[in-house]
Formats: sequence, structure tokens, C-alpha cells
Amino acid sequence: MNMVEIKDLYANIGDKKILKGLNLELQEGKVHVIMGPNGAGKSTLSKAIVGHYDIEIENGSIVYKGEDITELEPEERALKGIFLSFQNPVEVPGVSNAYFLRTAVNAKRKYEGKEELNAAEFLRKAKETANFLGMKPELLNRSLNEGFSGGEKKRNETLQMLLLEPDFIILDEIDSGLDIDALRAVSEGINKLKDGKRTFLVITHYSRILDYIKPDVVHVLKDGKIVKTAGSELVEVLEKEGYAALGES
Amino acid sequence: MQESIKDMATSLDLKLPTKKTESYRYFDIESLLDKSYKTVQKQKQDIKDSKILKIVDGVVVEAPKNIVVSYKKERFVSSKHFDELYRFSHKINDEIIHIDIQNDTDLKILHRFEAKESFLTYRIQIDVKENTTAKIYETFIGCEAKGSFVLYGYDLIAGRYANVEIVKDETIVKDTYTPIHSNFIEAKESSNVKLFSFDYGDADGLVLVDSYIEKDANIDAKHLLYVMGKAKRGTVSRLHHTEKNSKSNQVAKSILQDSSRGIFDATIKIDATAPGSKAHQNSKAVLLNDGAYMASKPQLVINIDDVEASHGSTIGELDETQLFYLRSRGINEDEARKMLILAFANEIIDDMSENEVVNAVHNSFEKVYYGKGQLECIATCHFCEDVIL
Repeated sequence: MNMVEIKDLYANIGDKKILKGLNLELQEGKVHVIMGPNGAGKSTLSKAIVGHYDIEIENGSIVYKGEDITELEPEERALKGIFLSFQNPVEVPGVSNAYFLRTAVNAKRKYEGKEELNAAEFLRKAKETANFLGMKPELLNRSLNEGFSGGEKKRNETLQMLLLEPDFIILDEIDSGLDIDALRAVSEGINKLKDGKRTFLVITHYSRILDYIKPDVVHVLKDGKIVKTAGSELVEVLEKEGYAALGES
Repeated sequence: MQESIKDMATSLDLKLPTKKTESYRYFDIESLLDKSYKTVQKQKQDIKDSKILKIVDGVVVEAPKNIVVSYKKERFVSSKHFDELYRFSHKINDEIIHIDIQNDTDLKILHRFEAKESFLTYRIQIDVKENTTAKIYETFIGCEAKGSFVLYGYDLIAGRYANVEIVKDETIVKDTYTPIHSNFIEAKESSNVKLFSFDYGDADGLVLVDSYIEKDANIDAKHLLYVMGKAKRGTVSRLHHTEKNSKSNQVAKSILQDSSRGIFDATIKIDATAPGSKAHQNSKAVLLNDGAYMASKPQLVINIDDVEASHGSTIGELDETQLFYLRSRGINEDEARKMLILAFANEIIDDMSENEVVNAVHNSFEKVYYGKGQLECIATCHFCEDVIL
């Protein structure tokens, strides 16, 4: 069963046409990987799914759990369970990380008709989760991502993911800037959410992350379109032969 | 009895600022000075013992026992202050309120204005003895003073090695009073002065500060402006380094909504007699909608090479990438905007040393923030024992 169906998607950034009739189906409970050369449109695709203001959808639709979300606001998509782990998480000076996380968690709980967590309940949960990720607890009290190292930012993205428990998780270059220990910790966090129901879309340049998060389906995105879909064996082919192995499709 | 400010100035042979005066370039001073006002007869009263210093229409009515407060004819007057209304306010007030701080002190001052359609003027002189720490918090209530013009100011003399933190927390609502604060600060050798101003609301007002910084002394000035409606509000200042190794750091943050105008016209001047001085100045403004306007004019006037100095100014909207990031986690746009605005303001508010003052200023800010568009007069005295309505 498909959790996400993207049909004939044309998307622009400014005057530049990036996605040119992209079609993609993501199955419930599976780990999908999108690989592709620089400038193929991988990050544009992730931004289009979450409703980034940079992206102008010219044509096509994004259907999530049977609902067309193409026109929804970013927060509506998030509340419905879509989560993007950003390649470069933004720094927000003056907004405490803990306050931000609690606001986000409680917005989701409210949306789901659950009781909101009080400060003490939230902090206990956040500290436990941060500890699992090997994240310094003091990062919860600092301003959101401000002065965090690359690894700390990615751990913080993973912390948000674990606390928000989304159903559809997009990981955009989650491995960039991570040393081996951070990569392992982040991967463990991601694998913790693999429950056979959640869908993952891993966007990456390199296969390194795929040693930790095993893909079910691999797609190659080139020049704004999916040009190849296959099983995990495609990763090895691309590693050995590069995107040239796919020919000029 | 009604008299115009201009008539009063003529009788004292004093010049008044006009719309061409540089310090008032962005503020409509003439319409304020052209009006006729009732004059307020100040009747001195017995001063009651209280936790705060309370001044009502320029008269001290309450004061803490440990503070020496008196009226004086003799006073300090800076002959070089750039503001004509500074001199005018000194000339027109026969006496000033003198606050003599001899020991480490934490002083809360409530200025309350009650007279309607009146010209209300008074001055304070604050002397902080050398090697002494003073934390002074000023707040203002003037809901009843409809149509009044308040010309107030202080002269603050920070003695050698003194530490002074002076905080002004003033929310003004339209159709109440219009204040001009004309202040002077002298930071004597090795003293450290921290000046905070929090100017909120939807009505006009201007603060003019002149200051002199002596050898090894430091002035940190932080200004937070949050205005809306058609308010014209802000700060005009000069931080003047007169002796060697003097330091200043000035930061202004302004949040402008509706068709309000923010003013930050600030000069740091370093004399040839002040080698080794350090001066930094920065202004950041956020315009929340089209029509809001910021007049930001940070300036450095440096008369010697051996100094370290910088200045900068940015004017923009809320950061779209930050806004999107918050929204992408399920936080709705209003809430996300609120988080970013409070964060912008908090960087200055949280820099103060006293928790209870930090909380009071947060409280003032949030009252204005949540009341936007329908501000009612905010008559809250954070440190008063009695409730003021």
C-alpha cells in the first residue's frame, strides 16, 4: 500500500525549472532511497513535499495517505505526520531548544486530541531521548541550533523526529558532516522508529548511511525525474559505476 | 492658566528645537511645542516611607528610607548637551529632585502622571558615590494624563569605580501623554554604566541621551523599541569618549508594526584625547508589515587613530527560513512569528542582571504584544504594593 504518491510533479525555484514531471510512489513501512547527481532536484523534491516557500508547484500532485496535500500549509503537513530532517538545520537565536520542542510536541498532541505535556513531563521525556542519542542535555537549554556543531544539529533533528513520532520521515543528507560515532547514534535513532508502518525517504549522495539504514527500494533522480527504480542492489551498482551506468535516459 | 511652550522659552530667552533641528529630524517636535498647556503647580508633600520611590506629577510622594531624596536648587547641568530641551528643562525647573546614592542600592522609581492637557516638567539628579553599585529601574504610568506633554530627564553622575545599571520601562498608549526624556550621563574614571531602555506602545515619545565617558570607564547602552499604530518613537543619543581607554557598546533592536516609525539616531564620538578607546554600535530593526519605517542612523565620529570601533545597521522582516523551520514542526504561523519576535526582544531583556526586573520587562513586552491592535492603557506598577488602575 502506498503512503505517498507523487504524480507528474513540475516544480520551480524562481525561474528555474527543477522537477520536470516527477512520478514517485512510496510504500507504507518501507525505506526508500533517492540518489542522484548534484543539481538533480533531490532537495527540491523534499522541500516540495513539506511545502517550502521557495518552491512553486507548476503542475502535478502530492498525495499523502490518500489526501492531496499539495496546497496545504507546512504546519498542516507536519501535524499530519510528515517530517523533514533538514540538510542544514537553521539556527534560531533567542528561542530555547526545550521551549521549541515542547511547543512542537504539544501542537502535535493537541492535533491528535491528546493531552498536552506539562513542562516536567516533557523535560523528562526529552532528556531520556537526548541521552539515547548521546546528546549533551545542556543543548536542550541553549537557543535552537545556535552554535551547535554539525553533528549536534543532526542529533537535534533526530531528537525532534523521535519526540514527534512522524509517519513519513524524509532524511535530507542526514549523514553530511557527521563523524562515524554521530552517524551511528543518528542511525540508531532512525532505526528505532522503523516499525513496519512508517515510511522513510532517505536522500543521499553516498551509500555510507545505507550501511546503517537498510533500504528496500532505491530510486535515481536525474534532471528532475525518477529515471530508475530498483531494489537495494542498485546502490552497489551506482557505487561502482556512478550515475553514468544509467545512460542518458 | 494656559501658556505655550514657545512663550515660556521666549521669556527665558532660550532656543527651542524646530523641525530642522538634527536631533528632532524624525520626530514631530513642533506640533508638541506649538500647543498651549495648563501649567502644573507642584505642591511638595511629606514623603511617605515605601519600598519604591514614587513621583506623582513631578512631586515625590513616597520613598524608601535608605535613599536620600531631597529637592535642590543647586544642581549639575551639562553645558555641552546637544538638546535644547535639556537646557530648557533645567531653566524652567527651579528645583530638581536629588537622589544621593551613598551605599549599594536597588531602587525602583515609579513616575506617575495625572494632570490632563498639561505641561509637566521635572528633573532628577542621581549621584552614585564612587565604588558603589546602584541598580535603578524606572517605570511610567500616565493613563489619566490625556493630552499632556511630559518633559522629564535625569542627570546621572556615576562616581569613580561605580557600577550603575539604569533601566527605563515605558509603555505609552495613544491619547495619553507624550514624553520627551532628555538625559545626561557622566561616567567617571573606571565606572561601569549599563543603560537599558524599553520603549513600547502605540504613541509618540523620544529619549535623548548625552553622555561623557572618562578614562577606563564603560557605557553599555541597550535599547529595545516595540511600537505600532502611528507611533513615532525612539532614541537620539551621543556617547562621547573624552579620555583614554574608555569603552562603549550600544545595541538597538526595534520591532515596528503598522505604520509606526522607529528612531535610532546615535552618535559615538571619540575625542583625540581618548586613545585606546573601544566603541561598538549596532542597530537591528524588524518591520512586521509594509508601512512600518525605521530611521536608523548609527554614526561614529573618530578623531584619533588608536581606537577600535565598529558600527552596523540592518532593517528587514522576520527571517523566513527560521519561520519555515518552526512551521515545518507543526507550529502554526502566528505562534511561530510570536516565538521569533519574543526571541528578538529577549536577547536584550535577558541581558539585565536582576531577575525580577527581567520578569517585569518581559511582562510589559508581552502585555503589549498580546494587546496589539487594541492596546488599552497599561497601568501596572510591577513593584508597587498597592494596585494601580
